[in-house]
Amino acid sequence: MNRRLLVLLGPVAALVIVAGTASAASQPPAAEPAQAPSAAASQPPPAAAAAADAAAKAKQDQDKPYVEAQYRQFPVIGSRVAIWMVAQLHLLFAAFVLAVPIFAFIVEAIGYKTGDLRYDRLAHEFTKLLSVSFSLTATFGAALTFMLIILYPKFTNYLMSVFSPTFLPYVLLFFFEAFFLYTYYYGWGKFHPLVHLGLGLGLNIVGTGIMLIANAWLTFMMSPRGVSSTGAVLSVKDAIYNYTWMPINVHRIIANVAFGGSIAAAYAAFKFLNATSDEERAHYDWMGYIGNFVAISAFLPLPFAGYWLAKEIYAYSQTLGLTMMGGAFSWLFIIQAVLIGNLFLAANYYLWLGMGRVEGRQPLQRFIKYLLIGITLCFMVWATPRSIIATVSELRAMGGSSHPVLGYLGVMSAKNTAVNILILTTFMSFLLYRRTGKIAAVAWAKKGHAAQLTIFAAVAIFVVFLGVYGYFVEATVRIKLSVPQVLSVLFAMVSITVIDLFLFRGATKTGEVRWGKIPPISQYVLIFIAVTFTWLMGLMGYVRSGLRQHWHVYGVIRDQSVDAFTPTLGFATKVVSVTVLLFFALIGVVFWIASLHDRPDFERGARFRPDPEKGPPNFAPAAPQPQVD
Amino acid sequence: MQVPHIVRIGALVIATTAFYGYVGQMVPQKEVQPPQETAMGGDLTPAAMAKIGRQIMETKGFCLTCHTIGKTGALRFPDLANVDVRAKTRVPGLSDIEYFAQSLYEPTAYIVEGFPPAMPPINKPPIGLTDNEILSVIAYLQTLGGTPTVTLQTKHHYNSGAAAPAPAAGPAPGAAAAPPKGAPQ
Repeated sequence: MNRRLLVLLGPVAALVIVAGTASAASQPPAAEPAQAPSAAASQPPPAAAAAADAAAKAKQDQDKPYVEAQYRQFPVIGSRVAIWMVAQLHLLFAAFVLAVPIFAFIVEAIGYKTGDLRYDRLAHEFTKLLSVSFSLTATFGAALTFMLIILYPKFTNYLMSVFSPTFLPYVLLFFFEAFFLYTYYYGWGKFHPLVHLGLGLGLNIVGTGIMLIANAWLTFMMSPRGVSSTGAVLSVKDAIYNYTWMPINVHRIIANVAFGGSIAAAYAAFKFLNATSDEERAHYDWMGYIGNFVAISAFLPLPFAGYWLAKEIYAYSQTLGLTMMGGAFSWLFIIQAVLIGNLFLAANYYLWLGMGRVEGRQPLQRFIKYLLIGITLCFMVWATPRSIIATVSELRAMGGSSHPVLGYLGVMSAKNTAVNILILTTFMSFLLYRRTGKIAAVAWAKKGHAAQLTIFAAVAIFVVFLGVYGYFVEATVRIKLSVPQVLSVLFAMVSITVIDLFLFRGATKTGEVRWGKIPPISQYVLIFIAVTFTWLMGLMGYVRSGLRQHWHVYGVIRDQSVDAFTPTLGFATKVVSVTVLLFFALIGVVFWIASLHDRPDFERGARFRPDPEKGPPNFAPAAPQPQVD
Repeated sequence: MQVPHIVRIGALVIATTAFYGYVGQMVPQKEVQPPQETAMGGDLTPAAMAKIGRQIMETKGFCLTCHTIGKTGALRFPDLANVDVRAKTRVPGLSDIEYFAQSLYEPTAYIVEGFPPAMPPINKPPIGLTDNEILSVIAYLQTLGGTPTVTLQTKHHYNSGAAAPAPAAGPAPGAAAAPPKGAPQ
């Protein structure tokens, strides 16, 4: 068979299989066996008896009570894994669709303010990825809804009854989002820039509204409020405004921006690697840089939002908090440490590679080795577990499950300190990159540098001091030490940035930035960052949802299904991995579709090949012929 | 031969995902089953009750997620070593059984100084131990510094609604009195 035909038929066949599987899933699990028609045909009963049987059956059917199914089973992988994967794919695309308009809007606004058309083109390029992703988000959202109704009908019905006032506004906002998104994308260059920016703003507001509503549903499941102990609704407002709603809202907005930036940077990397001209390479190198800048800028304050979320989880239920940090899920945070450590290392490596874009010798590069040592040490501390997996003899030799020395690094005092220093170090990398090829020209340059260095050193010492102090105080005091640690790091980041902005006003340039002149490995680093971010999203999505353990709604509606157990972390990470691979397969399709925009038209490129003798075909409309009466 | 970028990108995505999946296999693997109600016959000895109580504390009760036994230093929640010794005299008028029952059913009634009022009522969801399961937990707590006296017939303020404890509850001077509400915290 023709290969192209096979390629075309492949997805159709896959769709048919998926539809068939979903249809099988929707069948009741314990349907009564139907009578075999052949058996009935072999021994035809007398007409009267047959009529009586038929009447009895009809009566039996009429008397059959309606029984609401509590659960149905999805074939092969089970209901929970099916819902898990579809929900995760929906959330990944939704995160992307919500994040990209945020920075596309900002980039477009910068372009409007500065009059630099490159920014406008960049914002348009980001937006190009949106329309296909939006369709996929909606498709997975619909799939998730239907699968919840089919597989968890009773629980879904309960959730819908609690949040019934929120569904119509949700649908309405979704309609508005489609309106704003398509007018924003297709209206590029067709409206006054301010009108177009207004569309972008509308898209962001509506998108955020959608996310806030959906977050209310899922956070209610984790920290229910506004219902009685048996689940009766007392206050919808309280159900929405539950303990973890606002922290999740903030955490998700920041995480979405970080994730969206990394995916946009991966797109730029993909285009860079396949670019055929220096101009293209320069554009996509710049786009990748901006995408990564957005990702890492959002990533730096993310742990602080995470602290707030964890604090609210503890405030809601100590049991829930301790299950997360000290119980079944505690080892998950070691996996998280590996992921975040890799993100920091990769982000810094990309920045250091980027220094090579700037002409001339870069004296600041000599500091990189010290930053690398600092990052590696922090990474190692953060990834040190409190309890070590060991043999019985090793445990005896250690005198317990904690290592006599390394065990001290596995506690929150050390880990909080490590992550704060990690953030400070990465921030320092940004600063070094920012000032590559520039020398401050202001009169107070020396004092400015000294002030920055003093703030950095003072905050680093303060953070380490609090970390050490934490070992000598009670737990209740120790927990509170993370607040001044976080605030001091935030203070350092804000104050040093403000000084830097004024310090480098009118700076002397020592070398131009040569966009596109960066080793190809840097682009693979961007893709690595995007995969790591995606995997991290999947892992943290699992802990947020899995934390409820055997509860649909924590402490209120118990999970009575066969999937009520909490799986091993190994199993969970396999599901996350498969979902991430599916996401990247789909995002590859998004990239491909988005790149179709830049291809030459089929008619112009292939069907009407220029005749060497006649020259290229003329597509201009025919000149009007003078009318002759 | 130059490997196309698209192949390299695909390999990188698969390798990165596989690496993180591998890290996930390296950590301890524990499947947590939903808790089941512990079946208990009517003729259990206090020692047998204590054994069951220890199991419940480790699993369904989540007690040892927060509490330690025999640990010193900066603690997040009270250590339970020798807790029965303290329980007998901690709240005037309450026997150890009544004090333990109060701590489990109504944990904020008395807060040990220096610790947060963070313990949930154990008889309610999400933990939701039954009255008999709580009795077995009390039996185990009695072994920490004392001798278990609790049986399934033991009555206290929270499982009978009556004020007077059953004789099997052991020495409980003043245990007939209802536990003080709004006790010092």
